[in-house]
Amino acid sequence: MSGMRIKMIVIAMILVLASLLFAQGAFAVSQDMVIAIGAEPENLDPLKMMSAPAATIAEHMVETLIYLDVDGTLQPALAVSWEPAEDDMSWLINLREGVRFHDGTPFNAEAVKYNLDRFMGVEDPAKAAIFSFLLGEVSSVEVVDEYTIQVHLKKPFAPIASHLSHSFIGMHSPASLEALPEGEFAQAPVGTGPFKFVSWDRGEQITMRRNEDYWDGAPKLDTVTFKFVPEAGSRVIMLETGEVHAIMAVPPTDIVRLDEDPDIDIVRQTSVRLIYIGFNLEREIFQDVRVRRAINHAVNKDVLIEAIFQGVGEPSSAPIVPVIFGYHTVGPYEYDPEKARALLAEAGYPDGFEIELFHPTGRYPQDATVTEAVQAMLQEVGITARLTTYDWGTYLATVIVPPEQAEHDMYMLGWGTVTLDADYGLYALFHSSQWPPRNNVSYYANAEVDALLDEARITPDRGVREQLYAQAIELIWNDAPWLFLYNEGQVNAVRSNVKGLIHHPLENILAWDAWIE
Amino acid sequence: MYSYIIRRLLLTIPVLIGVSILVFSIIRFIPGDPARAIAGVHASPEYIEQVRRDLLLDQALHIQYFVYMRNLLRGDLGRSTFTRRPVTTELRERFPNTVQLAVAAMVIATLVGVGAGIISATKRYSLFDNVSMIGALIGVAAPVFWLGAMFQIFFSVRLGWLPSGGMGTWAHLILPALTLGLATAALIARITRSSMLEVLSQEYITTARSKGLNERVVIYKHALKNALIPVVTVMGLQFGTLLGGAVLTETVFSWPGIGRLMVDSILTRDYPLVQGAVLLIAVSFVLINLVVDVIYAFLDPRINYGTQEVD
Repeated sequence: MSGMRIKMIVIAMILVLASLLFAQGAFAVSQDMVIAIGAEPENLDPLKMMSAPAATIAEHMVETLIYLDVDGTLQPALAVSWEPAEDDMSWLINLREGVRFHDGTPFNAEAVKYNLDRFMGVEDPAKAAIFSFLLGEVSSVEVVDEYTIQVHLKKPFAPIASHLSHSFIGMHSPASLEALPEGEFAQAPVGTGPFKFVSWDRGEQITMRRNEDYWDGAPKLDTVTFKFVPEAGSRVIMLETGEVHAIMAVPPTDIVRLDEDPDIDIVRQTSVRLIYIGFNLEREIFQDVRVRRAINHAVNKDVLIEAIFQGVGEPSSAPIVPVIFGYHTVGPYEYDPEKARALLAEAGYPDGFEIELFHPTGRYPQDATVTEAVQAMLQEVGITARLTTYDWGTYLATVIVPPEQAEHDMYMLGWGTVTLDADYGLYALFHSSQWPPRNNVSYYANAEVDALLDEARITPDRGVREQLYAQAIELIWNDAPWLFLYNEGQVNAVRSNVKGLIHHPLENILAWDAWIE
Repeated sequence: MYSYIIRRLLLTIPVLIGVSILVFSIIRFIPGDPARAIAGVHASPEYIEQVRRDLLLDQALHIQYFVYMRNLLRGDLGRSTFTRRPVTTELRERFPNTVQLAVAAMVIATLVGVGAGIISATKRYSLFDNVSMIGALIGVAAPVFWLGAMFQIFFSVRLGWLPSGGMGTWAHLILPALTLGLATAALIARITRSSMLEVLSQEYITTARSKGLNERVVIYKHALKNALIPVVTVMGLQFGTLLGGAVLTETVFSWPGIGRLMVDSILTRDYPLVQGAVLLIAVSFVLINLVVDVIYAFLDPRINYGTQEVD
């Protein structure tokens, strides 16, 4: 037999094999999506979850009762409807019927009660979830019938629906949680979501597979893998080589280069986090509102965003970011150094003064660089800021202290309003009951603001709540307890053949409905 | 020699106790509140209090150390505050990955380093000598993360030959092992060269040569064994460093080893895990030093450890 003949036969065989392989679809692109994220989740149990990576990954497998959409609206998920009772002391929640957990057990009111009780630590308060304060206003959960639960409140608490949408309050199969050994936490979640847990290679990746029986129809992807790649530069390289389909948190310096790559799309999304520099209102200098406003006028936020973040982000125009329910535009404070100098002179500081400015390094993107730029801008109006930085742990312990222990005049922090409800952002940071060890680190106290925030908590009518928050935001803005800086932006990047990914303001990336072309 | 080895083994015990005290103290004496740091900005004061109790931070220092030592002797390093899994489990999962990477890097380092060193020494001032010593200089001076990033850009992005990160196949091992190995090879090459040169200038080598022995036998049989003694020291120390987790390399290449585990746990303020990782690294260092000392004794019988006088 001639060599030519053998070659022909081999080619024919390869063609037959290939056609068999590709017979299933016209375009047999493998539907296995790989996404690189910067950090590994701690675990996937609601009791001990505390990070955005954990939330991102859990949301593919475990669903919440209510889904917080990208635009900040609340959408039905495992609950189909929810409404307050007439006295606002409880909420009636109707559940989706016919849903099963990945282990085959049915999802019903009993399962919801089990999960919520576990989250709140009903049996043993010491075993409550880290984020149990989300349900802090709930007194008990009652099973009304197979697909109805009633959540009873200690006092009216309007943001409860937002809180129930928090990705840490996901519904796990009670049977699988029961099967955990004493003191253990769920590493392999069993939920109702579009993907089922497959494996977790520590330090490397988590893989999940399509849930064929998903109540809303099986997803298009076969598998989704989240790879943990701590080094931002390495994430970028993996996207360029095609080893991964999407990456989160693109470093500002790489944005321009990736933008020029025709195979890669840059996705800019807002975030729920706002970065600010708070004033220590117990200091004499900062008791004069003119000084606080002067500093707000002295800093050019547009320059910070352009120069340091390549234009990603926006100057803050309220103490919360626009995507949050209850947001109301009042700012930003115009950049006007002349006005700043005039206000300082009016307040009796024509020659400026010296202050201690504390800031973290490496906790928020470019935090130290931003503080240095602020320092230079303050110098322009005669204010000398001495900078002090610590590692994050020391920093928190130094800054979140009662007034008599405070060493700082100003401090930088960020706050993510993760429920997308103004209550979570305003109450914790501006209510006078929330001074350290809680999070009102500026020691801000305004009786009018307190009253508005209290009222908004117990008002079920969303329209009325919006008005209350608008008033509170205007008061806070005019009082200027912070140097309002910017709303953080987030930058993700995807291969251009990837379609349907959801880039959520909560710094999640969701592949529920995604596919690869 | 055996009494030397036993004595050396016994000496290791106080060293290990010292290490445990040091590791224990480092965590306790850094400023700041670990409980606050672990709990994060959004945490309630109640949860911070709970973390403080869990970590025994509300107890007196000597009680903390006593509990720590008691648990340590039972092989219990506590639980990670971040993942809630036993620290020993976390370490057991990650350490083999680091060992794999360290061994691969060491093989590359030894082959390239000792090889280049010998050739350089025997062909002093030749082109090979000059080129390899300049290469070694660059290898010692170049930061490992830079070298790693260059490899990624060249072999992964440009040529598309090798994966740029992660773990799984043998191909995943090549770039990180090369990055680590070449940096170590540079050091080994320089030391092999100078040690070889020193030995080659000694009288017994001249004697061997004058007896008319084959040059290969002179170099590989007579010279090399003695020249290797300082090389073994450096290799031991280097291997200890590699086992300590090549922190930067593991991070650049997303290699799930002990070095990255330590970086991750520092970032999440996971004190029990940091403590466990540092302890494991310190203990590997001590043990490798022990092994190096024992190898010494075999390599050079002339080394007198003062045991004969005692015997």
